[in-house]
Amino acid sequence: MSNAPDTPPDPSSETAIVRCENVRRRFGRFEALRGVSLSVHRGQVVCVVGPSGSGKSTLLRTINGLEALDGGTVTVDGVRLPGTSKDVLAVRRMTGMVFQSFNLFPHLTVRRNVTLAPVRNKRLSPAAADELAERLLRRVKIADQIDKYPSQLSGGQQQRVAIARALAMEPRVLMFDEPTSALDPEMVKEVLDVMRELAHSGTTMLVVTHEMGFARDVADRIVFMVDGDLVCDLPPAAFFARDDDPRLRAFLAQVD
Amino acid sequence: MVFDGAAFTDAFPLLVEGLWMTVLLVLASLGIGAAIGLVACIGQLLGRGALNRLSRAYVSLFRGLPETVLIFWIYFCGPFVFDIRLSAFASGTIALSLVGGSYLSEIFRAGVLAVPRGEIEAGRALGLTFPVVAMDLVIPRAFRIMLPAFLGFMTILIKNSGITSAIGVTEMFYQGQIIAGDNFKHFEVFTAVGVLYFLIIFPLSMASSGLERRLASADR
Repeated sequence: MSNAPDTPPDPSSETAIVRCENVRRRFGRFEALRGVSLSVHRGQVVCVVGPSGSGKSTLLRTINGLEALDGGTVTVDGVRLPGTSKDVLAVRRMTGMVFQSFNLFPHLTVRRNVTLAPVRNKRLSPAAADELAERLLRRVKIADQIDKYPSQLSGGQQQRVAIARALAMEPRVLMFDEPTSALDPEMVKEVLDVMRELAHSGTTMLVVTHEMGFARDVADRIVFMVDGDLVCDLPPAAFFARDDDPRLRAFLAQVD
Repeated sequence: MVFDGAAFTDAFPLLVEGLWMTVLLVLASLGIGAAIGLVACIGQLLGRGALNRLSRAYVSLFRGLPETVLIFWIYFCGPFVFDIRLSAFASGTIALSLVGGSYLSEIFRAGVLAVPRGEIEAGRALGLTFPVVAMDLVIPRAFRIMLPAFLGFMTILIKNSGITSAIGVTEMFYQGQIIAGDNFKHFEVFTAVGVLYFLIIFPLSMASSGLERRLASADR
């Protein structure tokens, strides 16, 4: 890949799939990210929590280049942003993204939603992509809906298709932007179950969520953000035990 | 007033002859107008600098001109300004295409802008290139979204095509004037003209509103 680091990486970051260093993003006068640094290592699940407007979604969107950087760098498996448009494409193909509102392609069947990227990005032949789609849709337990259109599915089913679609590019890291916030309560579990299964099978995941139970059970680390700052980055036990930060206490009091 | 059934039915053969001219005029104007509209739409959405300004200027100019004026202007003033004498049919087609292109450009543009932003972002997040996002995601979606408006525009074009009779294009409305001028059966002849227009416009507007309903129920 182009843009490899000039200096040999220090041993601690050798397995870092995602590395954000001092990432800044402004919208007009509003500073959405004020210098955020964060690493996600291979096989880790990192949950990002915080009040709305704290910059969690923006952080995910800068990592795959949907938002430009106003400062700092993002490195995904050796490819650094800001970079050329080729670098941006390379980073996007290595990072899967699951959106709050699913964003499936409504004019394509479930099968085509999943196979579009691997076929068009020339990773797989249409036949191989078809096989992959069937395998991935079995994995998210929705193989029987393969020839339906998104509008024929429930919200939970649509989000599971979106997860299969993101997995189809075999990303190095799978990012979730509040994947259950737009779902009816009875459908949250089926999506969280799929996410748990992915986490247990070693998928590297970066998850913006309000599901504190999921974060407590599944995350290796929980990151807390407020007003564009990363306030703390701790393993779940230490995260929930921490009581010296008033902002964290106020947040936890609200979500519990 | 007595309705002369024979005059009514006798008008049809000549009117149908004119109807073919109407169809030809509409299809030619629609085709050329769609091509112009596509270019102007792309110019407005993606163009920078001069191309963008030119596209906007074109749309503002021709949306602001009545077809009637443009038809007369091209037919009567064209020879002086451009030193070419165009047939009535060519003049009518050009005028309807130029005005149509400006409306179609806006219809296309509205269709593209109505594609939900999240779908385009999902495509970009998958690492799809700009041409793939355009061809596989935006254009098929925009096409479905704008189809009712496109069919609606087609019905308006059919209705407006009659004004080319003023410069002597022998389309259906013109044929009606000829027949009625001949036998003075205005009541019967223009009733027949109305029936024929309705028979081609009604299915189109039905299709347009049907598609609109289907679209409204299909998406979320």
